[in-house]
Amino acid sequence: MPRSAAWTRYNWRTIWLSLLYGAFLLPAVYGFKHHLIPGGLQYVAAVLPALPIVGLFIAMGRYLAEERDEFVRMLRVREMLWAMGFTLSCATIWGFLDSFGLVGRADGYWIVILWYFGQGIGSIANKLTLGASAR
Amino acid sequence: MAYSDFTPAQRAHTKRILWLLLAYAIILPPLIWIRANTAVAGYVPTLMAIAASIPVLGIFASWGRYLSDERDEYHQALTLRRIAVATNATMGAAVVWGFLQAFGVMPLIETYWVPFVWVVFQGMYGCIEFFAGRRHGAA
Repeated sequence: MPRSAAWTRYNWRTIWLSLLYGAFLLPAVYGFKHHLIPGGLQYVAAVLPALPIVGLFIAMGRYLAEERDEFVRMLRVREMLWAMGFTLSCATIWGFLDSFGLVGRADGYWIVILWYFGQGIGSIANKLTLGASAR
Repeated sequence: MAYSDFTPAQRAHTKRILWLLLAYAIILPPLIWIRANTAVAGYVPTLMAIAASIPVLGIFASWGRYLSDERDEYHQALTLRRIAVATNATMGAAVVWGFLQAFGVMPLIETYWVPFVWVVFQGMYGCIEFFAGRRHGAA
């Protein structure tokens, strides 16, 4: 499937945000590991690597607003719906397993990893049900 | 919007949600009581945890069914937008909290708070839409 201009812009935003993520994460990990960050600044240092990931979600929202090909946009929205259902279902099941003391607590950013995995499931579902995938 | 103004798909979705919430309210208290007061072991606690999750999973499935049943494209588009905003805001909150946890600044929490936050964001965006709509209507 040919890539639209909106998709190209989305990819560029993703690349820049990923670079920014690396630039924030590495010093934060080093700083926490060697106890270089004073009390109040720890919150700032912990939130900074999260901001580029938050930016990825904003980029995705912007892509949906900019995409002019309605069919491709519909495919992407379906992928996101599958991802949402998958992620929230996993979070609910894991939450109850945790609540009943059967599994350990998971870091919140695993939710995002599950969500991206869920998009892959959505892409497969699109291929199986509509015979087309946006990827 | 009054219930009488709902589309057939919205009515069916509302009924499904109410039944699922009722099932949740019936299933959860005995499971918590059994876990707290008896010595269940083996696979039983796992089955109990999954049983508690099933009505909530049903709610997500109901949202998917509603979107495929809805024939009114305007309502469908509004719902899709609300879901997209709630999902992105929830993912953003999860990743910020996740890094705060990973760096030991905040405690770990049960992951079922994620769907809870998603529902709250949906409600917040619904309120914003409602008040924005009233303002436009008044202008």
